[in-house]
Amino acid sequence: MRKMQKAGARAKAQGSHGAVQSGSMAGDQQKDTSDMSFEELLELQSRGGPKACKQLAGRSAPKQSPRQPVCVADKHRPLEMSAKVRVPFLRQVVPISKKVARDPRFDDLSGEYNPEIFDKTYQFLNDIRAKEKVLVKKQLKKRRSGEEREKLQQLLRRMEQQETAQQERKQQQEQRLALKQERRALAQQGHRPYFLKKSEQRQLALAEKFKELKRSKKLESFLSRKRRRNAGKDRKHLPLSN
Amino acid sequence: MSGTSPLDPAPSFHSLTPRKTEEEEEEELEETPQEKKLRLAKLYLEQLRQQEEEKAEAREFEEDQVAGRLKEDVLEQRGRLQKSVAKEIQAPAPTDIRVLRGHQLSITCLVITPDDLAIFSAAKDCTIIKWSVETGRKLRVIPRAKKGTQGQPSGHSSHILCMAISSDGKYLASGDRSKLILIWEAQSCQHLYTFTGHRDAVSGLAFRRGTHQLYSTSHDRSVKVWNAAENSYVETLFGHQDAVAALDALSRECCVTAGGRDGTVRVWKIPEESQLVFYGHQGSIDCIHLINEEHMVSGADDGSVALWGLSKKRPLALQREAHGLHGEPGLEQPYWVSSVAALLNTDLVATGSHNACVRLWQCGEGFRQLDPLCDIPLVGFINSLKFSSAGDFLVAGVGQEHRLGRWWRIKEARNSVCIIPLRRAPAAPVAGS
Repeated sequence: MRKMQKAGARAKAQGSHGAVQSGSMAGDQQKDTSDMSFEELLELQSRGGPKACKQLAGRSAPKQSPRQPVCVADKHRPLEMSAKVRVPFLRQVVPISKKVARDPRFDDLSGEYNPEIFDKTYQFLNDIRAKEKVLVKKQLKKRRSGEEREKLQQLLRRMEQQETAQQERKQQQEQRLALKQERRALAQQGHRPYFLKKSEQRQLALAEKFKELKRSKKLESFLSRKRRRNAGKDRKHLPLSN
Repeated sequence: MSGTSPLDPAPSFHSLTPRKTEEEEEEELEETPQEKKLRLAKLYLEQLRQQEEEKAEAREFEEDQVAGRLKEDVLEQRGRLQKSVAKEIQAPAPTDIRVLRGHQLSITCLVITPDDLAIFSAAKDCTIIKWSVETGRKLRVIPRAKKGTQGQPSGHSSHILCMAISSDGKYLASGDRSKLILIWEAQSCQHLYTFTGHRDAVSGLAFRRGTHQLYSTSHDRSVKVWNAAENSYVETLFGHQDAVAALDALSRECCVTAGGRDGTVRVWKIPEESQLVFYGHQGSIDCIHLINEEHMVSGADDGSVALWGLSKKRPLALQREAHGLHGEPGLEQPYWVSSVAALLNTDLVATGSHNACVRLWQCGEGFRQLDPLCDIPLVGFINSLKFSSAGDFLVAGVGQEHRLGRWWRIKEARNSVCIIPLRRAPAAPVAGS
């Protein structure tokens, strides 16, 4: 009912000169106030709600942009400030920028971690590591005994272990690649892709390790150590002897 | 009758023939009203013309006297009055320069009394000497005071860095490195008051024209307002970030300071308690002088001289290496500009350094240009420059060392006050006049 009234008012306003009747529908949206006489406008203003007043006000006053544009001349004027504000004794003479610490693990700039790409791009570090190892060995030759020698030994051990770990990682990556290639070849030939179970993967790895140990003749020591560890663990599960 | 033109006099036969026909009389009567009208009209015009002439005379008379003067005052207030004096200045011959010697150490500052009859000069030996301009003799000497004497000091005990004299020639103020401002009576050089309050050496002093209000600034980065006649302190203004080097003021209630290492020139509007900040020099701004109410000139220790206007935050004109370069080839440094001066309400500016000359400059149209005019040879550190109020002479305070320290020492220089007469060439005749 109200909507129809509004529509009716709109139609009336759009048509002939705005009659007083249109003014009776207070709160209407579209009203052609330019066609109204002054008397009618006053009536509208007096009778109409806040919206009508705003409309009239908006029509009469020029619309001001929310942010007034800065005149170019103001940019060149000298800065005016209060002369009563005490200035602190220390002032910044050289602009110092704070160093922002970023963690590349959580920073979007670093991108996603891909171990293969990482190893490829930072291959040059291997040479540096090798050189450092040589340096440490030389240093070790100089010092025969003492705290420094122990520290150097620890360092050397750490470096070697890091190297072996890297080699292992590399080997695993190679294995994975090889498997992938196989699967791709099979798929191309027409067979369905075959994915290994986790237990099967472990078995394969174990087999590889066995082969490696046998080759390097460390099998005996490895097996004996393994037995000892397992024995210790099994002993825990035995009932306590009184 | 009808053939007679309106300007012809009445026909002579009118008086000769005694008898006239009535028709003739009528005709003449018809004419005479017209002619009468004409005659009256001419008379009226004559009267108007006379009145206009009188009015014009009166107007001229007025313009010469009162209105002209009022106009000048208004222009001066607005900072637009400008007489082009620079083109007429001629460099004086070296023999015309009068050298007044009497100080033991380098002169640091000087002031000329408003009537151009005496010069006060202060030096690193903590004495103030009053010289007579005409005779060149010492009129009075205020000797140095010993440190630690009881009661009020009747002299300075440390280097006097700045001086100022009021526009009626009554009070002389001097500030030194021991944070004191001493007020003297200019005529008798008697000590009147001491103003304490600054926390570091007082580096700039100026009286407001037409009043006894004194503005002072110091190495403690504040600007203080005092009243010399009433022996009172008014207020302090803050804003500079480093020790202030110099201060100047004219008849408005505002002063302008040179900020030294701060790199800013600030105009202090005292009744509104606000400041305008200007940036422009790269080195330390050491000296500043007001040309008129709206423009000022400053000099820095990177050799640059800048002209400023109050409406622009950057200088209107900047002249780099105003006094040239010195040093070994490949390691050349610009000469520091140690003093600037400007003739009030004209376009003449003088700058001094230690390259054995005082350089005169002409400000271009609207103060947008700075052109060198001529050099006046003067050996030594030109620590202070002042123009006389009539523009007849320029006084330079010369020393063997810079007024603020002892970086160099020029042995050939003499610690003296030099009075340089400025001769003006007669204006060239205008073509066709």
